[in-house]
Amino acid sequence: MLTLSLALALAAAPPDTARHRPPPTQAAPAITVHNQPALPVVALRMSIVASDPPGYAGAGHLFQHLHLPALEEQAARVGGRVQAIRGSDAIVYSVVGPATELDYLAGILRSALRVPGGGANAGMLQALSALAGERSAERETAAGYVRARLRSQLFPADLPPAGTEDAAARLQSAPLADVWGEIYAPDRVSIVAVGDVNLNAVERAFRSLPEAPAPGRLPPDLADTVASLAADTPQATRGWIGTAWRADSADAAALSVTARLLRNSLRRRMTRSSVEVEHWWTHHGQALALVVATPDSLVPAARRTVTAALETLGAGVTDESVRAAGAAVRREMLFYSRTPERMAELLGEFADRGGGRDATQRYYAALGEVTEADVRRVLEQLAAAEPGTVNVAPQRIPADQRRR
Amino acid sequence: MSARTFRAAAGALLALAAWTGRASAQERVFVRPEPGTPVVAVQVVVGVGPADETAAQAGISYLAARSVVEPSRAAFNSLGARLDVDQQKDAIAFTLTAAPDAWAEAARLLMVSIFRDPVDSAAVVRQRAAIVRELTGREASPADALERERARAVYGTEHPWGRPSVGTATSVRAVRVSQVDAFLRQNFTPERSVVAIVGPVDEAEARDAMAPHMPAGELRADSVPAPEPGDSTVDAEYNSITTWVSATWRYGPDSDVEALRMLAQLALDRVSFGPSRRSVYNSRAEVVRYAGGGELRLTVVVPPREAEQWAGQLREAVGGYAGAALSPAVFLDRLRRFRGERLMELGLPEQRAAAMARAALLGDRTATLVDFTRLTPERLQAAARALQSPIVVYLGPARSPGG
Repeated sequence: MLTLSLALALAAAPPDTARHRPPPTQAAPAITVHNQPALPVVALRMSIVASDPPGYAGAGHLFQHLHLPALEEQAARVGGRVQAIRGSDAIVYSVVGPATELDYLAGILRSALRVPGGGANAGMLQALSALAGERSAERETAAGYVRARLRSQLFPADLPPAGTEDAAARLQSAPLADVWGEIYAPDRVSIVAVGDVNLNAVERAFRSLPEAPAPGRLPPDLADTVASLAADTPQATRGWIGTAWRADSADAAALSVTARLLRNSLRRRMTRSSVEVEHWWTHHGQALALVVATPDSLVPAARRTVTAALETLGAGVTDESVRAAGAAVRREMLFYSRTPERMAELLGEFADRGGGRDATQRYYAALGEVTEADVRRVLEQLAAAEPGTVNVAPQRIPADQRRR
Repeated sequence: MSARTFRAAAGALLALAAWTGRASAQERVFVRPEPGTPVVAVQVVVGVGPADETAAQAGISYLAARSVVEPSRAAFNSLGARLDVDQQKDAIAFTLTAAPDAWAEAARLLMVSIFRDPVDSAAVVRQRAAIVRELTGREASPADALERERARAVYGTEHPWGRPSVGTATSVRAVRVSQVDAFLRQNFTPERSVVAIVGPVDEAEARDAMAPHMPAGELRADSVPAPEPGDSTVDAEYNSITTWVSATWRYGPDSDVEALRMLAQLALDRVSFGPSRRSVYNSRAEVVRYAGGGELRLTVVVPPREAEQWAGQLREAVGGYAGAALSPAVFLDRLRRFRGERLMELGLPEQRAAAMARAALLGDRTATLVDFTRLTPERLQAAARALQSPIVVYLGPARSPGG
């Protein structure tokens, strides 16, 4: 069984709420269905668990940009919506629409598995331009910059979804079929369906997937070089402090609860600063990241508070606060997944990380069982790790340029 | 779409139409059990609004509603529940969303806050200041300015619905704590309220949870004076480089609202940005329904020199459907899209709860969520024909005579 809601509404849930079946053939995807009869709507999430070919960072996301306009137009014909996301783990397409249009919606997703057709050349410049915009956007604001730089310190192999300048230049002239052939294979595809549908119907809709193009002829051993982030620090009106610790071996639920406790603790003590504490979790590993923005005059104090954050939390953590934090994270999961597409996203993300088909449910259950000792263990692991750090100083405006 | 596909679709739609919230004995609590939905949404709608206010106290309903729940905010947070308060022309809507293990406690807290707790004077003062700040900030917004002009034009300057539903910064600032207290006692009563609950709940348990707060009895609905619209064209000068052009068609209590919704979407397609309509910066269609009728609104944002031309296009976009009925094939194609868009509007459990509560407030005892199952080309045509001339509002730089 694979449902969040089952954990809370066992009595109310129908007996066959969730089904999963591994792919019967290499040309068919693994399918998970979560039956939600509340509304005759279905959300389909298709993920292709693959990295970009070496030297072609951003390729997966480029294909998404090439496909997306046509997908959106097709979905609009039945009042549906399409989304394309390139995560660290997978290339993801989602579509949501009336459940009676299941076959049509599945067809939209299947079409995204083909190499973009004749019209793609016209869209290539537009897609490359969109990628360039996304690469720039990551460095334009302090919030994006701090996270990008922390990620590059902790997970150097986890390149930005939008790729690199050099890779974009290669992609412009590379044969798209060869690049796609390096990314796509039917056995890398997983489907999550959430809504008023059953497993048999979804299996029929995805009975066969397009064949992968013949093996590519891309030059071997190309490297993706990311331009130095330190060279283009953005201007900011507040001081930004980023700290992150890698915690690959930490229990995921305990790490999430620790992140929540740390956020609560810092927000109580840093009332004039904005504080975010995040649990990063991809197939590259796990980390706990702390991003603080604070007024200029408070930067030194904020830096001290952040440096001592783990120790301070350790001194104040109690079993009761751990239980409350676990419950809060669980409730946020439920709140987030209250639409079919978000439920599909949550179920799919956990599966894409390699956690298995019931990874979401196990994580949800584990959140309720995290103890004070688990959190202390996580804190010890974090304290032993070498943290990544980023600081962005607030912009100094010369006195004669200040608005009077 | 083949005929076979459409039959299958129609079957499913009929099933949806039959999914109605079941009313309890007191006819004002509606429960829609949804196994598999991860949260419970509760919508409490109190039929109080501008019609219960004097012009000098415009906005007191909204202030009272926000003040009465403010002291409970911390408790809602600790339960992981989310609460929104929305003032509509004819009612205040409280929307609560909570996890299945916390919803009953959160709903009890909400009902006690609305109907039993005396108002906290400090909360009124804080909320009054917050609303004044918000309204002051919104005064410069063209969308808000358009809404104010439209309300005045459609209902008349003396009509309570001709005023902003949340009041103005000036009127709210003048409201006293004692007035809020008196307003609450007089108007925020269970007899004027309906409740809709959607999510993984047991129907009997949900009804039991509401019973202490919602005594049996019919819904008390007060009548609202008839609209007294002003001129059919309103020019409102606004300092901007674009002009907002809005056409509003009033419709009566017996109108075919679902057909009007489809008509609005089809009309929107005819005036939205596209290869042949590159000068449309933004466009929007909406159908709102109140006791005694409602409005179909169509709005575009265009260059000022094209404003008059676009007003004509808005009229034609709706009026065009009053001519010959669409052919069955074209109609089915349009209906296919409309059906999906309507379902997407109900994607969140709180949206379903809101739709149920509004239907119940307007006297639909089955609180039907959607009604597009039996739409036909003829119904669409009839709905377009039944509309009178729209009231057009221009908001933008001064228009020269003759456009």
